[in-house]
Amino acid sequence: MPDFSLTPEQTSLRDMARKFARTEMAPHAAECDRTARFPEEIYRKAYELGLMNLNVPADYGGSGLGSLEQCLIVEELAYGCAGMTTSIIANCLALEPILLGGSDEQKQRILTPFCAEYQLASFALTEPSGGSDAAAMRTRARREGDEYILDGEKCFITNAPHASLYTVFATVDPDKKHRGISAFVVPRSAKGVVPGKDEEKMGHRASSTGTVRFESVRVPARDRLGADGDGFSLAMRTLDQTRTPIGALATGIAQAALDLAAAYSLKRETFGKPIAEHGAIQIKLANMAQAVHAARLLTWHAAWTIDQGRKGTLESSIAKCFASDAALHVADEAIQTFGGYGYMKEYPVEKLLRDAKLTQIYEGANEIQRTVIARELLRAYQ
Amino acid sequence: MEIVVCVKPVPEAETRLRVASDGKRLDVEAVKFVLAGYDESAVEQALLLKESVPGSAVTAVSYGPTPRTEEVLRAAIALGCDRAVWVEAAAGASDDPIDVARALAAAIRPLAHDLLLCGKQAGDDEAGLVAAALGELLGVPDFGYVTDLKWDAGRGRLTFRRSAETGVESWEAPLPCVIGLQQAWNDPRTAKLPAILKSRKAPIAKVTPPAVAAAGRSAAEKFELPPPRTGAKLIEYKTPDEAAQKLVRILREEAKVFP
Repeated sequence: MPDFSLTPEQTSLRDMARKFARTEMAPHAAECDRTARFPEEIYRKAYELGLMNLNVPADYGGSGLGSLEQCLIVEELAYGCAGMTTSIIANCLALEPILLGGSDEQKQRILTPFCAEYQLASFALTEPSGGSDAAAMRTRARREGDEYILDGEKCFITNAPHASLYTVFATVDPDKKHRGISAFVVPRSAKGVVPGKDEEKMGHRASSTGTVRFESVRVPARDRLGADGDGFSLAMRTLDQTRTPIGALATGIAQAALDLAAAYSLKRETFGKPIAEHGAIQIKLANMAQAVHAARLLTWHAAWTIDQGRKGTLESSIAKCFASDAALHVADEAIQTFGGYGYMKEYPVEKLLRDAKLTQIYEGANEIQRTVIARELLRAYQ
Repeated sequence: MEIVVCVKPVPEAETRLRVASDGKRLDVEAVKFVLAGYDESAVEQALLLKESVPGSAVTAVSYGPTPRTEEVLRAAIALGCDRAVWVEAAAGASDDPIDVARALAAAIRPLAHDLLLCGKQAGDDEAGLVAAALGELLGVPDFGYVTDLKWDAGRGRLTFRRSAETGVESWEAPLPCVIGLQQAWNDPRTAKLPAILKSRKAPIAKVTPPAVAAAGRSAAEKFELPPPRTGAKLIEYKTPDEAAQKLVRILREEAKVFP
């Protein structure tokens, strides 16, 4: 039989993240959402408490957590504010290619100084002409002696305007499609790195999303991760690792929506009794609770699979896809439970719907997740 | 300076409390216990002193049953305490404050202790007796309601303030002594993630408390939750004048706040 109980260690990590989310993040969530402020003081505090570079081994100055521990923390943070969480965990995504594809020398040289102080990194894969179709990449990397010259533009990059380090995917040979893609670590300080405007977004407004342009940026060959042509596989293996915490992030949004709706239903009265006593609302709450519970368990299972040392492509795609759909549905039903008040910005539930929407799109749109799930599934029947 | 800080596990503030079926105690089955708020301030104070007085060490001591007592001691270690002593209470053992102070005093006596810090009271029973009883049992002076504690190394004295009914008093005291601290005036720190991980593996010394009479010194006869609050009254009005008139009438005739 599987064991769903958490260890005392996991419980104390979750409690610590919960406390941080509820005392440091949540009180500023509405204000940051309204004004699209990037609350750097909160991110700095998250770094100081060890909540930022969760996946980086302690040897390089990170927290060195497994996937399940990361998920427990991310769910709690997202309960406080999904947008802030996106910015807090963006380092995990940006640094994962270095963990997976970097040599010991590169990890020591790049990760150790990076993690020694508060810094942000960005994962630069998506381009204006396409996100999901990574093999159609236009950013070029031309070899010149011991260097590569990078030219191109990336968009929708989390934390890009604030990052000091980028992991960049570029093609050395477009004819080779995905086999022509290489990965590079590029510091913001390199000449020709031009972060662009901060996008105005529907949700996750405490997070920053922007473009970054590479104008003949010279990158030493020693900052290439793996061999030429390894980039696409590295990006996919990275997403295999980081997709599951997005399931956790979506679960955190869904749990917040359920908690708000349930508490409101006990207070709000219609027809002489709390709406929680009306069957229509009870059914809604029951369905929401099922969705939250299933999202959490699928996420835990995917994380457990990865912690067993397996790829977990199927499991993490199922978790991310299901949990993000669940988050949108549960946030929608929470608004419906609140009625007219739910549609008002003065109440906290409409933000959850806007935040939930992104989880269906980023780190692999759910259409791609379903393609992956079907491919993995059908393999078993062929 | 050898600092001993006494900590107590108490129900988390947002806990929904239920009375046990025998009506004499709280049902703690599903209750989450945390380090008491006053004790968090005591731990913070201990760590601030440790950081300012070279060669200092902090030992956290707690009396209580498993697993909650071990958890608050690990929380204290994660915050920065050097050692932890768990005075293990058997399930259902007396929680009378004097019995607790005796158990703590017996565990503290063999430890080096220049300064004993406690929260001035616990967040659950609010008895506020343990710190004073510890002073008595260990034969050292004790001070409660303390804030702004500092060590004057030159004169070898503690200086601090006490919030008293009559105002704020400024005090100084020699070591050893017991200090009961006010809550949250020193902005207690949050444990960092690596420290939490490390605290899970830290050793905790276990000691058995002296035997107490099975019944304890005191026991609750009956435990009742406060009656539910009655709802607020909304005054409906069209103009501010009307609202004021209605409010004055209610205050005079219903609430009888003034004649």
